[in-house]
Amino acid sequence: MLRHTTNWVTKPANRVDGPDKANGAAKYAGDYRVPGQLVTRALRSPIPHARITRLDTSAALKVPGVLAVITSDDFVDHGRFGFPVADNFILAYQKVRYVGEGVAIVAAVDADAAEAGVNAIELDLEQLPVIEDMEQALRPDAPVIPDVVTEGSKKGQPNVCLTQIVRNGDPEPIIAASPVQLDQTYATPFQEHAYLEPEAVLSIPNPDGSVIIYACDQSPFNNRGIAAAVLGLPEDKVRVIQAIVGGSFGGKDEGVYQMSAQTAKLALLTNRPVGMVFSREESIIVSYKRDASKIRVRLGADKDGKLQAAKVEAWLDGGAYSAETVLTAWRAAMHLAGAYTYQAVTGDVHVLYTNNNYSSAFRGFGNTEAVACIEQAIDEVAEQVALDPIDMRLKNIIGKGDRTMTGATLNQEVGLRACLEWVRQKSDWDRKRREFPAQNKNARYRKGIGVACYFHGMGLGGEGVDFANATIAIERDNSVTLTNGLTDYGTGARTVFTLIAADVLGARPERIKVLLTDTETAINSGPTVASRASVVGGNATRVAAEKIAQLLTFAAANLFKCAPAQVLRDKEAFIGPDEEPVDFDTVVNHARQLGYVLSAHGRWQLPVIHWDFEKGTGTPYVGYTFGAQIVEVTVHTGTGRVQADRIWAAHDIGKVLFPEGAYGQLYGGITQGLGYGLMEEVEINHGYIHNVNFDDYIIPTAMDVPPIEATFVEAPFHLGPYGAKNVAEPSMLGVAPALANAVYHATGKRIRELPLTPERVLLGHALHNDDHGDNSRLWLGYADGLRKVRITQAA
Amino acid sequence: MNIQIDFTLNGRAVSIDAPAHVTLLRLLRDYLNLTGTKEGCAIGECGACSVLLDGRVVNSCLVLAPQVSGRDVMTVEGLAPVEGAMSDLQAAFVKYGAVQCGYCTPGLVIAGEALLRDNHFPTRDEINDGIAGNLCRCTGYQQIVDAIEQTARQRAAAQVKE
Ligand code: FES
Ligand code: FES
Repeated sequence: MLRHTTNWVTKPANRVDGPDKANGAAKYAGDYRVPGQLVTRALRSPIPHARITRLDTSAALKVPGVLAVITSDDFVDHGRFGFPVADNFILAYQKVRYVGEGVAIVAAVDADAAEAGVNAIELDLEQLPVIEDMEQALRPDAPVIPDVVTEGSKKGQPNVCLTQIVRNGDPEPIIAASPVQLDQTYATPFQEHAYLEPEAVLSIPNPDGSVIIYACDQSPFNNRGIAAAVLGLPEDKVRVIQAIVGGSFGGKDEGVYQMSAQTAKLALLTNRPVGMVFSREESIIVSYKRDASKIRVRLGADKDGKLQAAKVEAWLDGGAYSAETVLTAWRAAMHLAGAYTYQAVTGDVHVLYTNNNYSSAFRGFGNTEAVACIEQAIDEVAEQVALDPIDMRLKNIIGKGDRTMTGATLNQEVGLRACLEWVRQKSDWDRKRREFPAQNKNARYRKGIGVACYFHGMGLGGEGVDFANATIAIERDNSVTLTNGLTDYGTGARTVFTLIAADVLGARPERIKVLLTDTETAINSGPTVASRASVVGGNATRVAAEKIAQLLTFAAANLFKCAPAQVLRDKEAFIGPDEEPVDFDTVVNHARQLGYVLSAHGRWQLPVIHWDFEKGTGTPYVGYTFGAQIVEVTVHTGTGRVQADRIWAAHDIGKVLFPEGAYGQLYGGITQGLGYGLMEEVEINHGYIHNVNFDDYIIPTAMDVPPIEATFVEAPFHLGPYGAKNVAEPSMLGVAPALANAVYHATGKRIRELPLTPERVLLGHALHNDDHGDNSRLWLGYADGLRKVRITQAA
Repeated sequence: MNIQIDFTLNGRAVSIDAPAHVTLLRLLRDYLNLTGTKEGCAIGECGACSVLLDGRVVNSCLVLAPQVSGRDVMTVEGLAPVEGAMSDLQAAFVKYGAVQCGYCTPGLVIAGEALLRDNHFPTRDEINDGIAGNLCRCTGYQQIVDAIEQTARQRAAAQVKE
């Protein structure tokens, strides 16, 4: 065993990319300027569903300044891609399925020429019936959206992409026999990621026919795989470099892969660098969203509030392409009944096709939707049995050794009880629950307080093999270079890797530089999703660093003429038996003289677990994080406006490796949860998004975020580096249902549809605007009537 | 049609030819290659493009380039005492965890600087109010407010010493 103390991990640290970001030097993909760089403009569908009957780009190529135009014909197999279901295209093929879907891209010397090029493209569209919502998708006579055979096809419902299931016993008879029963349906909205950086990519052709793509993507290796496949190139001819990413939250996968392949193709055709930068409107109209959901929860409990069984069914609006909603649905299924023990649970999550844009990954990845609903349902049962909501939860939550809702046994430390007790005490919960209702009598402003808690499976779980690769090298100047196949899109992962390497090597963090993830220098580690960077990427870094640390210990032992076990470390110093410290540089130089190669590779993989997707049984995850959140609100009964006054949050994320980073993730996640609960909803009418910029799509400002009091319960996790788990995703989970429960406490109104806008609080339902696509058409370039797009009705 | 625009940028006189209809944001990014100032919405809603114009915060996406003729513009690149370093406020952003993806950071540092010049002892509420025009999707603002609050204290302490 190597000797080292924790000198940097868990202590205050500066984010490694902080200075460049604070002084404006950091380069995002849209900041690169390369000589000869071309710009692009896209021809996009102005209607939600149509057959492409004619597409002629020849006139565009004659426009001065236009150098290339591409369509689906320019890609292998028409640019078909998508995992797990290959139903998507780099550019629309044969049909368009949502408003804003790309049909053709023009590359030109400047924006005016590119726009003129787009206006010269001739496109004929034959309108198809539009599926505006999930009910319509399920109708027997519904037009079929996907061009692949779906699970639902066999049952006469081709717009059902698939159903993810959990089968843990038979809840029906237990619920039927339970003295307390609940059967309610909840709904959650489409949510826009609203990363502050709109999507951008830049492709640069190389003289040997290969291409470099700088992209704001989440998973460069996935990007490379797709680009190589649709371009018909071997993977080593496509190099993807992740530029600094201005926020992602799950949102920069498929859409950025399309942009990457499009610009790479144009770069190869023109032999010029090609940049593509979205406006905010283009970003909101074209990019995918968090799915909207409907979730029906049936619960049975005994008279004391002990939960007996749950039967939950969910429908996710996946929009025009399935993308990662298939996996979202799986994660939703694994969490549908919450962090409680039951005798029996079944869950069914259906992914549906509609013509509403499309859905894919977003922070929480299905569990956000699940928690939003189940945590309201638990409050509704608590009320039936006259239990305090926290007592209700304490009575039913899972602990070590219990069976979770999927039927797997929980084999880890569980900090959930401690989380609930912390928020209860800090928020003065018991007094407020008692006193607010009395104060509220006849008041215009009513106070309420609500709670929610959750569990969240770590890593990919049954979604895939969970591994990462890291490399470390000590350079000639004794600086240390790190790579990791898992990326940092603003989460602080690079800082976590730096701190782990510093600690294991005994090298100051200032010596260490983490390279941007580059498919040419880093080693494939699968997708950077599911908040797995700290645990899986962190462990890979640790493994690589341990190999070099061992060599340094050998070198020091050689220098001291002692046994390796006698070498002690104090930060950078090596201390031998005579207690005279020798510095890092001396030992490194000596190691080199001994001929040691000071570079290493570390691979780490989570234990393999098995989930049977057909049967709906197995072990979904190697472990869970837990947390509880309380929100106190004031509701204005005249306007329906809900104001969050304070938030308390306790999260069991294992050992905290980078405290500033972890708190930042926590506050940021809570704020996204606040938006999800109170104000954020992508309004899609007849397939058209209405709120296409921040004037209509409102996200929380500094004025909307109340004081947040937060803590971490550090129940150690045996598989994590230093006992760490993850925080990025779970932090947002409890806020929205806690808000809904608080509004109920304040007003006695249960609003089972998020977000809790003034209209819903006041009237019980949303008000619909009458935008029939004017916003979308304007921003897609159709306002001046210059596009040559002909729309006809089907004969 | 191009026109010549003369103004002071980060303390230096510049003279540049650009079309009359470009925004100050485009002028900075596309004509002067200063890409620290970001575009998040282009309609004055997000503050990512904030710069100081004669010492006051403006959204540079809403200012036409010719409007800055003869005036003084300060961008995120100009705040540090020496190029490539950090001002006290920028360093506080890093220290207090106010930077995550960093896309909002240039605008927030500018907004924070303007606030601190106007109000030497801002309360947390006043800071929230002062940065309400700047959206950040990552941080939840808490650590941004910490950074601005701590910088105010440091500056006050430094003044007392002088
Ligand atoms: S880009 Fe100027 S305010 Fe958003
Ligand atoms: S740090 Fe990402 S938007 Fe503020």
